[in-house]
Amino acid sequence: MAARVSVARVARQLAFSAGQRPAGFTNVCLRTQQRVLVPRRLFSGSGALQVKKYTEDHEWIEISEDGKTCTLGISTYAAKALGDVVYIELPEVDMDISAGDAIGAVESVKSASDILTPVSGTVKEVNSSLEEKPGKINKDPEGEAWIAKLEISGEPEGRMMTEEEYKEFTADA
Amino acid sequence: MAFTRRAISTFSEKLANPANRVQSYISRSSDPYLNLSIEDHILRTSPPESVVLFLYTNRPCVVIGRNQNPWYEVNLGILNTTTRGKVIQPTEPPGIGDVALVRRRSGGGAVFHDEGNVNWSITSPRGDFTRDKHAEMVVRALRKLGINRARVNERHDIVLDQGHKPNGRGTDPEDTHRTTYTLDGGGAPRPLKVSGSAYKLTRARALHHGTTLLGSPNLHIIPEYLHSPARPFMKAKGVESVSSPVGNIGLENEPFQQRLQQEFAAFYSGASKPDIVETVGEEHLDVPEIRKGYEEMRTADWMYSQTPQFELLLNRSDGRIEMTVHHGIIKSCELTHSRFSVEELGKMRAALLETKLQDIHDWAEFLRAHSPKELSPNTLAQRLAKYLPLPVPPKE
Repeated sequence: MAARVSVARVARQLAFSAGQRPAGFTNVCLRTQQRVLVPRRLFSGSGALQVKKYTEDHEWIEISEDGKTCTLGISTYAAKALGDVVYIELPEVDMDISAGDAIGAVESVKSASDILTPVSGTVKEVNSSLEEKPGKINKDPEGEAWIAKLEISGEPEGRMMTEEEYKEFTADA
Repeated sequence: MAFTRRAISTFSEKLANPANRVQSYISRSSDPYLNLSIEDHILRTSPPESVVLFLYTNRPCVVIGRNQNPWYEVNLGILNTTTRGKVIQPTEPPGIGDVALVRRRSGGGAVFHDEGNVNWSITSPRGDFTRDKHAEMVVRALRKLGINRARVNERHDIVLDQGHKPNGRGTDPEDTHRTTYTLDGGGAPRPLKVSGSAYKLTRARALHHGTTLLGSPNLHIIPEYLHSPARPFMKAKGVESVSSPVGNIGLENEPFQQRLQQEFAAFYSGASKPDIVETVGEEHLDVPEIRKGYEEMRTADWMYSQTPQFELLLNRSDGRIEMTVHHGIIKSCELTHSRFSVEELGKMRAALLETKLQDIHDWAEFLRAHSPKELSPNTLAQRLAKYLPLPVPPKE
């Protein structure tokens, strides 16, 4: 995963500098960019336009700008509260899910905790690197340790909070 | 039957009634699948602010954690008295008849249950959940019954300190994490574990359950059940058990259950008795949600397909077996053996790939279908049957 992310980043940088280069060089760069980014376009897009929202169950989702897909994970607050994660049960790719379903579970300190989805849809990709290294959930739960990417149908259900609202919500808890 | 149905609907109503904030149930069934399903039903339907104590004792069984590997954790070959091809006489050790294999929904490691082990389970609001509070409550109950060596350890389990005499320093009798027998620096003799904890957390609720070894007649054979012959040849993801020396507390089940109910009521309401004290049993299988959980828990899919990925590597002078199994399905498989041709090995390999272990039932029969040489001894099937045994599913 780390390798893929850094490839995408390099491609983006190349694309950015391409505008200031002679035409011949631009073509080469564009080709590089397409090859790397096209298969993953659904989930890349421009980060600035995606808004991260949090649920009362301490999951986060980030919906793509076209509103068709989202990335799901657990919040930093939840990861801290759970303690050392020793195993993560990921959902299966192509599984259909409904808002409110448990789509996986995290085990930490003898505790199994459900991972819930606030939105219906289909699982498109799971972060398999967590099977090898479940401890990543404790290190970067809102970044590298995302859990699943979903194709969504319909609006998220239940209260969805902005980062500010979620901060207040967890301060009260 | 009409009476039963009334009793059942009363159970569901009482359980879900927010007016009953402090509830307590005791099961008269010793069926581990039923007791765990009643427990899960309590977790899912009790009111958000309520606290529920549930006590049950199971017939002999090995219970593994949600994310564990049965082949890695359990000596599956000795669970059933009649396993294909061999019969263990009731008079031969272990001599306790069939031992059920159960995967629970909570985390944690593998444990052995029998009639001398009382399980307690407490469902409470997730907001004020801590991993120690209910183990501390059980220690207070034990101390009131004269078990002064009991304390909660750093793994949230209950142990009995084994120091020969009081260590001379005054210990606060209210301190559930230390006794006058506690040896500083973990000196010998090691404390004996008498109770192990596991948890299941849902959105609003926290379930904490634990075992309590009061008077198990099987202490001497528990290690046999919890040591798998395959362990040295496996690399398994998921949760590995931490093995500890265990001991009996030396109490009868009933006084302990009563004392715990009182301690629970005192802790949560200051009263001497919970709002609800009821008995549950087999008839609760008529509650549709309990029935559903019960049936799911008895499926081979829950038992075997829930197993995290593992690799098996058996390397012998006459051949080698290498296998990767993901969620109970054979995903890769390499076979070499001096008695088989490359072609025969290829046929067996092709048959094994993408097969669910639980669908194989009998290794010899399965492999014989692809190679007549499997009729002879000391071949692949025997080795696989030894290290990846496939126990018969639960009977009615």
